[in-house]
Amino acid sequence: MTLKATRALLVSALATFTLGLSPVVSADETCYSPYMAKIVGQEDFMYIWTLGVQGLGDEQDKLVTVDVNPSSKTYGKVTNSLSVGGRNEAHHSGFTDDRRFLWAGGLDTSTIFIFDVHSDPAKPKLVRTITDFVAATKGVVGPHTFYAMPGRMLITGLSNNQDHGGRSGMAEYSNEGEYLTTHWMPTDDALEGAAKSGKIADGYSYDVRVQPRLNVMLTSSFTGWNNYMMNLGKMMGDAEAMKRFGNTVVVWDLHTRKPKKIFDVPGAPLEIRCAWGVDHDYCFTTTALTSKIWLIHRDGNGEWQAKAVADIGDAAKIPLPVDISISADDTRLWVDTWNDGTAHLFDISDPHAPKKIYSQKIGEQLNMVSQSWDGKRVYFTSSLLANWDKTEGPEGDVQYFKAYDWDGKALKPRFNVNFVAEKLGRPHQMTAGAYALFAKAPTAARTGLAARE
Amino acid sequence: MRNRLLYAVLASLLIVSCTLDAHEDMHGGTQRTAPAADGFIAPIPGSYELPVVSAAADGAVLDDTGATSSLHAIYDERIVLLSFVFTHCVDPDGCPLASFVLSQVGRQVLRDPALRSSVRLVTFSFDPVRDTPAVLAAYAKSFRRPEMDWKFVTTKDEAALAPILASYGQTIQRDPDGYAFSHQLRVFLLDSQGQIRNEYSAAYLRPEVVLADLKTLTLATPDPTPIKPQSHLARAGDDKTGYENHDYQTQSRAISARGAFPRTPLNFDAPPLGLPPFSALNGPVPLPSHAALGRRLFFDRRLSHNDTIACASCHLPDQGFTNQELKTPIGIEGRSVKRNAPSLFNVGYQHRLFHDARESRLEQQVWGPLLAMNEMGNPAVGFVLDKVTGLADYAAEFARVFPDQGITMETLGAALAAYQRTLVSGNSVFDRWYFGGDTAALAPSAQRGFELFRGKARCVACHTIDKTFALLTDRELHNTGLGFERSMRKKPASDVIVGPGLVMNLKAEASAGLNEPPVNDLGRYEVTQEPSDRWKFRTPSLRNVAHTAPYMHDGSLATLADVVRFYNQGGIANEGLDPKIAPLYLTNLEIGELVAFLNALTGDNLEALTRDAFAQPIGDRH
Repeated sequence: MTLKATRALLVSALATFTLGLSPVVSADETCYSPYMAKIVGQEDFMYIWTLGVQGLGDEQDKLVTVDVNPSSKTYGKVTNSLSVGGRNEAHHSGFTDDRRFLWAGGLDTSTIFIFDVHSDPAKPKLVRTITDFVAATKGVVGPHTFYAMPGRMLITGLSNNQDHGGRSGMAEYSNEGEYLTTHWMPTDDALEGAAKSGKIADGYSYDVRVQPRLNVMLTSSFTGWNNYMMNLGKMMGDAEAMKRFGNTVVVWDLHTRKPKKIFDVPGAPLEIRCAWGVDHDYCFTTTALTSKIWLIHRDGNGEWQAKAVADIGDAAKIPLPVDISISADDTRLWVDTWNDGTAHLFDISDPHAPKKIYSQKIGEQLNMVSQSWDGKRVYFTSSLLANWDKTEGPEGDVQYFKAYDWDGKALKPRFNVNFVAEKLGRPHQMTAGAYALFAKAPTAARTGLAARE
Repeated sequence: MRNRLLYAVLASLLIVSCTLDAHEDMHGGTQRTAPAADGFIAPIPGSYELPVVSAAADGAVLDDTGATSSLHAIYDERIVLLSFVFTHCVDPDGCPLASFVLSQVGRQVLRDPALRSSVRLVTFSFDPVRDTPAVLAAYAKSFRRPEMDWKFVTTKDEAALAPILASYGQTIQRDPDGYAFSHQLRVFLLDSQGQIRNEYSAAYLRPEVVLADLKTLTLATPDPTPIKPQSHLARAGDDKTGYENHDYQTQSRAISARGAFPRTPLNFDAPPLGLPPFSALNGPVPLPSHAALGRRLFFDRRLSHNDTIACASCHLPDQGFTNQELKTPIGIEGRSVKRNAPSLFNVGYQHRLFHDARESRLEQQVWGPLLAMNEMGNPAVGFVLDKVTGLADYAAEFARVFPDQGITMETLGAALAAYQRTLVSGNSVFDRWYFGGDTAALAPSAQRGFELFRGKARCVACHTIDKTFALLTDRELHNTGLGFERSMRKKPASDVIVGPGLVMNLKAEASAGLNEPPVNDLGRYEVTQEPSDRWKFRTPSLRNVAHTAPYMHDGSLATLADVVRFYNQGGIANEGLDPKIAPLYLTNLEIGELVAFLNALTGDNLEALTRDAFAQPIGDRH
């Protein structure tokens, strides 16, 4: 018996033993971040990283806390708002692995704000601001995904300080906020051992997800500062600008952080979500410009492959798929399309042939989606980018945070926070908080906390 | 109840596992890259870096004999694998896993002479109340072979524990039953200097990974892979030439290639062939010290209000000192700029600056973009000067270069102007043929193009050639009809490229609700308010024109052939159309010959100018 087999036996025997008590004791979270504390019960708060808007309220970026516990007196209300100064193109955020701190980034100024969300989960505190990200990383601009690793944060960038284009890299920081290292996305003159499976090695960057049990990391690719900061209508009329979107997904050796294989995935593959099942060796991404679901999977020979597996709407209308969210049992995938403000649900039981089973218009525009661990509560926000967002539409449907219940057949509205009427700004990424994470949980590993993104 | 049952199962499994080591297949030095049965591919030791995370903190501890010690004494300048556990823990992905993996690693360490002499295992209990030295010693017996270098430690009480846990980022909560702790498993890898080099949670804690890391710490750090030498630095690093075609291939350049090449001093003794004498410059011949300071400012993103945009963000050295990737540039906070960023090649010879010729000297001109709310967005001159004064890397440099003046509106302008005046580029193939008498220099098709240029196509009427030099601009302003067209008859594009060779004809829904900003531009009229100046723009020089796409004041024409075709049709008719512009009746062959001529106007120093620029680090917030 080999050592690995022994360990597998150890872990699987214990997992089997505890199966009735907790759904995924032995499995790590593979889609949000492995081994981050999970909320499996009722989340208490949503922390919404919100972009400041000129002429609205105090005009600056802020972390908005909304009470989402139905048993609370302030359910559905904004209970806290923490302004951070300036407009930084507030975008994504992510917890450290112990879920005690929330890191939130600005794509424009490359400033990173670190909030303490454990001392008082109802009132996050700004405890550190990283202002030298570009200089420290030797040129990465636009910190995007904040992905927890043991004791450190992996931060993808979207751009660089030389041409403000899409070539970029990933930085690592310690949980304490100290810069550790930079990994550039592979380019033709610096493939770092990666094999081009097609014709493209654009060096672009966007999201990152890992599969520790396979020692694999995946990255996707979007576009640089010039484009994500530019007016969207202007950009669509600029043929050169439209050539500057990412067309790659890269498979990496997770442990060594070396790129291994570059896939041609045309049309800006954005969010990556990996399946949870311990024998589900695949991840999904969607392409913003070509409106497709792509499957990145390990084939029977152990080789990673990429293929388009479904269409999302009519590509000629540029529905612009943005955020996606996978269910805990790997059978459902929410896909938001920003341009028509619609949430789509795909049956992904057969990952090679996703089928759309439900669509619902949520608002004038739609970006992020988050669901509770049991999939019964689904949350949406509207904003994509300061200069891409639409500004006209029905009251409460332009910039919003909306909560729904999902009964397996339809979305039932629960509440809507109108971020324009509340003078807050434009809501972007949501992350869930809970009192139970820091006080009432029996053990973090056993309860397996976490609302999934 | 559950805990006790789990513990029983766990204990039995651990006993089983402890008897298995004889058959393990992890011999030292074996480099395995094929996936294991569960798909895991182990890393190759020494093939990667383990950056220093932080210094591992010290603290007073007790060992399993009851002796007092300190963590640093326990580490003893060895490579250390350190786990934080409590012995009553039964979580299968928690402490037992850590101790199990450490025991497996320990067995492999014993077999590897290099590791055996340098590696120590340390298990730290954060339950000093229950895990007395005696309990620790009993726990150690379950995992530790006598010959293993494995220390088990705890603290004398909870007061001594707290600072150690805080410094290692360990959060523990005693469960309500008082029996167990809620914690996140964390194992640390320390190098022999007592620095944390890696951390593992349950998901990452595999013996083969830990062993690879231990071996990596005993090996020399690999040299970074050298960037392949590039002979085309003057080409955009993210070149998308041919993107319209399905067979497009990237030729992307690494971001880290910038600065990878030594600076070669620019030759600035005399103007290159084809350019006027330096006496014709729009200001003083640049002093090297002024130009060096100006170059630093030019590439500093902190010169914008929110530290995001440098002069070089829109005038990129590898993109012809314009921006080839946008029709018109993007300013601070993504604000739209309505005119194409003009190339800065030979800008020292321009006496009328900006597309509408509203400025006369470079020293003054630089303040335009610095203060424009849709460019670098600074609120005031004084704000810029105060900010630069506050940047540690500038005050001393200004004092040295401008000893009696320091940082002023004039000196900052003078430095930036000096750098821009060094961007002189001539001695092109055309220059060597026309001014240098090298009759073989210019290809026959380009020679025919030149005859068209000064003949049938009448380009020379505005893109002038003098007896001894050619700036290829009359420095005047003209209405070609392009501005009129944009103001009066704008029509939205419906074809959009969405990937290599993927052009999509958009439906109306694609752009419904998107708010494109108004792009009206009345040209020189905006300066003079003279109706006859509507839609007049300055004639650009054609030097290096092959490297300064996109073309025209609004960047609306992508290629030189598009430009020639625009003039071939006689521009666009409007009331103020310049009388020099009329249909040319050029054939396609002639259009090609004209483009061949324009391609012969590229100077001989683009690589040198780019290399000089790339040697300057980008200025960013520290």
